[in-house]
Amino acid sequence: MIVAGAFGDAFRFIADNPGFLATKALDQVELSAAALAIALALALPLGIVLGHLHRGSSIAIGSSIVGRALPSLVLIGVFLTFLGIGFVNNMVALAVLGTGPVLTNSYEAVDGVERDVVEAARGMGMTHLQILRRVELPLALPLLFTGIRVAAVTIVATAPVASVAGGGGLGDIIVNQASYRLSGVLAASLCVMALSTAVFVGLAGLQAAVTPRGLRRTTVARTPLRKEQL
Amino acid sequence: MIRKHTRRAAKAAFAISLGVAIVIGLVTAGLARPAHATTKASPTIVIGTKNFAEEFILGQLYKQALEARGFKVSYKENIGATEIVHPALRSGKINFYPEYTGVVVQVIYNHASSPKTAAATYRLAKALEAKKGITAMKPTPFSDTDALAVTNATAKKYRLKTVGDLKKVGSFKLGGPPTCKTRTTCFLGYTKQYGITKASFFPLGIGLSYTALDRGQVLAADVFTTDPPLAKPSKYTVLADPKHVTGFQNVTPLVRTSVLKAAGPKFTKTVNAVSAKLTTPAIAAMNKAFYVDKQSAKSIAQKFLKANGLL
Amino acid sequence: MDGNGPVIPNFGQGDACVTGDHTFCWGWVRDHWSDTLGPALWQHVELTAVAVGIGFAIAFPLALLAHRFRKLEQPLGAFSALLYTIPSIALFQLLVPFTGITWTTVEIALVAYTLVILFPNVVAGLRSAPPDVVEAAEGMGLTRLQVLLRIELPLALPAIVAGLRIAVVSTISIGTIAAFLLPKGLGYPIFVALGNPIPFKTEIYAAGGLAVGLALLCDAGLVVLRWALAPWTRLARA
Repeated sequence: MIVAGAFGDAFRFIADNPGFLATKALDQVELSAAALAIALALALPLGIVLGHLHRGSSIAIGSSIVGRALPSLVLIGVFLTFLGIGFVNNMVALAVLGTGPVLTNSYEAVDGVERDVVEAARGMGMTHLQILRRVELPLALPLLFTGIRVAAVTIVATAPVASVAGGGGLGDIIVNQASYRLSGVLAASLCVMALSTAVFVGLAGLQAAVTPRGLRRTTVARTPLRKEQL
Repeated sequence: MIRKHTRRAAKAAFAISLGVAIVIGLVTAGLARPAHATTKASPTIVIGTKNFAEEFILGQLYKQALEARGFKVSYKENIGATEIVHPALRSGKINFYPEYTGVVVQVIYNHASSPKTAAATYRLAKALEAKKGITAMKPTPFSDTDALAVTNATAKKYRLKTVGDLKKVGSFKLGGPPTCKTRTTCFLGYTKQYGITKASFFPLGIGLSYTALDRGQVLAADVFTTDPPLAKPSKYTVLADPKHVTGFQNVTPLVRTSVLKAAGPKFTKTVNAVSAKLTTPAIAAMNKAFYVDKQSAKSIAQKFLKANGLL
Repeated sequence: MDGNGPVIPNFGQGDACVTGDHTFCWGWVRDHWSDTLGPALWQHVELTAVAVGIGFAIAFPLALLAHRFRKLEQPLGAFSALLYTIPSIALFQLLVPFTGITWTTVEIALVAYTLVILFPNVVAGLRSAPPDVVEAAEGMGLTRLQVLLRIELPLALPAIVAGLRIAVVSTISIGTIAAFLLPKGLGYPIFVALGNPIPFKTEIYAAGGLAVGLALLCDAGLVVLRWALAPWTRLARA
């Protein structure tokens, strides 16, 4: 009964404060999008080039292990000592969290394209750039996208932790039970959950849409084996 | 026949694992549960603290002094802000925590303005708590109020002396812990009592006020008067508060009256003996030991109690 | 107030490094190992061991069931995929109405995450035995149980250990978030350090370093364990 009451209050909080929650959710999305953009800008080209050259597998694998071992709270705390509180610090810390999955997956995606196919393309006289653009990238797309999806979900789900350093979107409500009571904390938690589920499902849909038809059969979503820190 | 084998094997494996899981679960749950029920003679004193260093030190002081006198103490540090700790006291999850007299009056019981003296504030706090079955014990000599600080450079630039002077600044950001926004002893009080209309609130983690001031992320920030960065000579200017928005904030240990009675006069004597020693220089020295010298609350409290013959 | 004021003892000076806000102070780490960092580290180890232990005890039989009764895999898989998207900071709070602000709440959440990781890994591992090998074994008269114990489980070992590695490392990482709920584990010193008027770098770096170090150490330990249990994987994959 107490439990039902607590969640009843939480849903009432959502019904009473949709604008407030939406603003906070938007803050969180903004922060996450900025962080994801940086992570992609850094890790995607690096992973693709390394994969194309079949070099640096230790960097790619190592970054996934180290990336998983880096707790979000530690990253935010450490960057805070350099960058102070606020948006920039949180964006950088979350971007670091996102680079691991993107780098590893993009490397493995391109590296794993069947060598025969690449050789055939080379035999046809294609240049490196042509091979990359016309052969490797289309074939690598599903796994590449998996990396982006994992990074996006990780970042959006971790963003509330940034509330310890000023500005964690919905996390600001979660850490402030004093002002918003348990109902507000639960409401914000439910919203965080809905937000990350939406990102997960949305990107899965997008992934299905952009996957070349010939590859669809083989990329039926598997349960993720990688659980990056959430 | 083959199927039967596997099914049995799977079932057995499942049953064993589930059994193991349940046992481990029960053991951990058992370990995690605090010892509530003890003999009637001396109840376990469940001490909670609020979420900042001065409270950790206070909690350790009362905990160690009580333990030295043979009381059983369960200690829960860093429970949260007043809005969380006080309900925990009311519901009996804890039965003792150090609170500030003005906070009792203005935050817990929502009085719009502060009494005019420290003594009157304590009397009112005691009367208000008594109705709820809580005793506000003798207050400490020291008081630690919220205050608004700006950097010396800002103070010079706008010629700021009092909180009211902030009206001269135009629109600006005022930083403080999230709870500050809605408290009459903090943002709400400053803006209403002094008619500051162009301030917007910027939530900061406790302790991040000075970082935010240094980086210019906020123009003014809510701080505690006993914070070491304010010790002279300081980089910061504390704005005077002639209207006493922040009130009088001596510490009074709040204890459930039933527990106070059951624990007997030795309990009251022990707690009061600790409180009496907590003067402004004493608490300032302890805060400095925590913040600047990075000593742990536990060892600071131990050294203080030893030096004063309370251990 | 009574006449005799308090004696203010020497609380111990922080050395120049600590008071001067230097980047990292070994002295502080040494002095506060026993009252701050050590206990936090130990709590973190305990937190992780209990979570992974219970998680494995639940995931393993569930995986065996799913392996045997394939119809179960989809619903179980879907359930764990859903759990996967719940951020830890939210899950801790969502459990509070059920189990309060307790150690149990933290453990339930962490066990849930380990389940999500371990279950699909164990299932995938059990699947990794080539069908013709299994058929051959059954042809030789081995019962299903014997096939499971002698062929499928040994072949599943690498995948199981791989799952354990991810589970342990993730749990250590997520465990720091538990400090949002309880003053326990390696996340708590970071919280306290962030609450200082000038964030205390040494404490943040030391606690953070311990968390990362613990994770990498456990990861390496499990790799060694895999070599010991399944020596053939030594050559197969780096």
